[in-house]
Amino acid sequence: MRRAGEFLRGALRRHEVLLLLVLVVEWGLFYHYGTTVNRRGVVVGFGTLDRQFDVLRHSCEIGLLALALTPVILTAGIDLSVGSLLGLCAVVFGQLWHDAGLPVGAAAGLTLVAGALGGAVNAGLVAGLRLPPLIVTLGTYSLFRGLAEALTRGAVTYTDFPAGFLFLGQERWLGLPTQAWVFLVAAAAIGVLVHRTVTGRAFRVLGFAPEGARYAGLAVGRTLAIAYVLAGTVAAAAALIYTARIGQAKADAGTGYELYAITAVVLGGTSIFGGRGSVPGTLLGVAAIAVLKNGLATIPAVIRLNAAEEMAGLLTGALLLLALALGALGQAGKVEG
Amino acid sequence: MSSVPLLAFEAIEKSFGAVRALRGVSFELRAGEVHALLGENGAGKSTLIKVATGAHAPDAGHLVIGGRRLARLDPASARVHGIACIYQQPALFPDLTVAENLALRLEPPQLARRVDRAGRRRRAAELLQRIGAALPPEAEVRNLSMPEQQLVEIASALGAGARIVIMDEPTASLTQREQVRLFQTVRTLREAGAGIIYISHRLDEIFELADRVTILRDGASVGTRVAGELSEAELIRLMVGREMNSLFPPPLGPVGDTVLELRAVGCRAAGVRDVSLTVRAGEVLGLAGLVGAGRTELAGVLFGLTPADAGEILLGGRSVTIDSPRTALAHGLAYVPEDRRRHGVVLELPVAQNITLAAHRTLFPGGWLRSGVERKLAGEFIARFAIRTAGPGAPVASLSGGNQQKVALARWLATAPRVLILDEPTQGVDVGAKGEIHRLIRELAARGLAVLLISSDLPEILGMSDRIGVMRGGTIADVLPGTAAAPEVMAAALGTAGKGAA
Repeated sequence: MRRAGEFLRGALRRHEVLLLLVLVVEWGLFYHYGTTVNRRGVVVGFGTLDRQFDVLRHSCEIGLLALALTPVILTAGIDLSVGSLLGLCAVVFGQLWHDAGLPVGAAAGLTLVAGALGGAVNAGLVAGLRLPPLIVTLGTYSLFRGLAEALTRGAVTYTDFPAGFLFLGQERWLGLPTQAWVFLVAAAAIGVLVHRTVTGRAFRVLGFAPEGARYAGLAVGRTLAIAYVLAGTVAAAAALIYTARIGQAKADAGTGYELYAITAVVLGGTSIFGGRGSVPGTLLGVAAIAVLKNGLATIPAVIRLNAAEEMAGLLTGALLLLALALGALGQAGKVEG
Repeated sequence: MSSVPLLAFEAIEKSFGAVRALRGVSFELRAGEVHALLGENGAGKSTLIKVATGAHAPDAGHLVIGGRRLARLDPASARVHGIACIYQQPALFPDLTVAENLALRLEPPQLARRVDRAGRRRRAAELLQRIGAALPPEAEVRNLSMPEQQLVEIASALGAGARIVIMDEPTASLTQREQVRLFQTVRTLREAGAGIIYISHRLDEIFELADRVTILRDGASVGTRVAGELSEAELIRLMVGREMNSLFPPPLGPVGDTVLELRAVGCRAAGVRDVSLTVRAGEVLGLAGLVGAGRTELAGVLFGLTPADAGEILLGGRSVTIDSPRTALAHGLAYVPEDRRRHGVVLELPVAQNITLAAHRTLFPGGWLRSGVERKLAGEFIARFAIRTAGPGAPVASLSGGNQQKVALARWLATAPRVLILDEPTQGVDVGAKGEIHRLIRELAARGLAVLLISSDLPEILGMSDRIGVMRGGTIADVLPGTAAAPEVMAAALGTAGKGAA
């Protein structure tokens, strides 16, 4: 019994386990209060498979950005520009396909390259010139969005994409929303990078001890560059999925997404000071926010008030602060115990 | 000269953890004297000064000021008692004028009072004149040179009615001419009846300025002498003078071919110039010198932290360019740095991950972590170095200083280096681990490593080195045989002996 108790306490100290519990409770509450039977006797609301797939569909773009940000934040960096880069990449994709007349596949490939280049701008300034990431990406946050606006003169919206492309954002493949597969592949790849490679180890060391990393002979500049270029590339992938989901590409795509993504990463247990964190944690963080946001919109009382957005924002904030406070208490307990 | 000393320490004791920094130091300062405080690095000078300024409370012993025994002293009451300390780096407000800085120090804080600018200027001018400083009171401090700022500090000490002035290496950053001016000021203070405690490593200054000298060694006073009755040689012997005991393990193997050769290597940014040196396989080359002599800086140049901008570095006879720690690592150099907690280990990472950190390229081909390989290697080092840890998965922060140091050492040995640079490897390490680290160094040398041992612990240098390079002013001042005696090394470090052949 005692060993079981100790095991339980040890497990509860792990942030991921706590977050998983939060997620289960959340899901249970919404299942209970958000599922109703309409007049014709059909089950509607949170408990339906369609709704669950909706949650998944809506979480892919912010989820991709959160995955992209996890390595960056592990290095004790930050990338505020991913949401703006998403917008820029959406516009670039629209122009390549519509204005330049490229086939959709080629346009998508070049959009990923554009994302990587955007990330490379951050990488050059952060890794090359050793400027603070917060300031650098605050700059590119405005720069990328401004470029997107300039390219479209703030007015052009690209639509009428071919069905083959829209399949990516609006259909299902092998039983799941198509973009969920992209998300899962990205999660697996970034998970392996962070947890199974020397580069992932280097992200952490940079977060814990930037000087120590240099003294250990690690490739500091290269490691930082990988994190930021990867973030840019994944932001471009998110741009493609976003465009395919809503069927149009315009300059304001992904506005404010960077903050949701950072919230998910931190909620997932990654320390904003770097070093600590995990990709599974980020996935749970994304899920907790997505379920909250979509679940609220299924509760009849919330629907009547027409306040789902506002309540979601409020509760997400509360959840984040609660997670941070619990984390701090857990740390304090560890030092004493 | 009054018979009551201005300031007297009586059997002062002070410990930091297990380190006894002061073990019953007694000392007295008379009015109208310059009393020099001398000692090696770590002899206890700074601790004693901090006791005098109230920054540290002594564990035992008394302070007697002006014949009155004090129960306790804090920085504020130290000022009331007329104690002032002039540090190497003056702490003035750069945007204010000299007069304003002095007023801030000397005027009692009062709200809503009219600022008497003329009065401030007059007083500043008077104080500056008293110490013989030709400074305009309305000059902004940012435009003053370092020695001029020191003069402002001295004026402020005088204005506060300081009768006991402590000067901690005041000439460290002064030119010859500025030094002459400072000495005049010190003499002016002395004639005014103040007592001056003067700390310096430069023996010539001591003989020029000091009336009496107190020598500290290992936290205890070795004695107080009249400066004029002392020769340089005697002074050095008093500073070093401990019996060498054979605590250090003997060399285990022969010395082989030259592995590392430096030809007139320099780095302007690091303040290292014209260093020529060879280190051979199986050899321990000790690097001695005072704090700031450029030893750690030289290690930084060799390891690519501050790459060399002059001269040539040869490894195994081949000229190499080392522009980053990464290239140093690739060339088979290893550096166990001085600041263990910041640079030597990553405290938050487990022991095993720390040990493999510098050897990623060879241990994990293709960049894939292999936890089996990591655990096995960590296990081997934990056993071989007797690292006391809860396990290879325990964070390094949970280890004692000595065991952290062994982890730092293991990290670099895992890279199979040709040259090992150790920077203060036993600093802050308990006696047991110290002996183990010494034994390891010998073992490594016997396996053919070329070892560069930087240490401020003179017995360690003497006990461990096959040859001793003595650094002074950013370059190698002398290379002595391993059998050299402590006073020879000290003399070379202080620059009192003639230039030896390198």
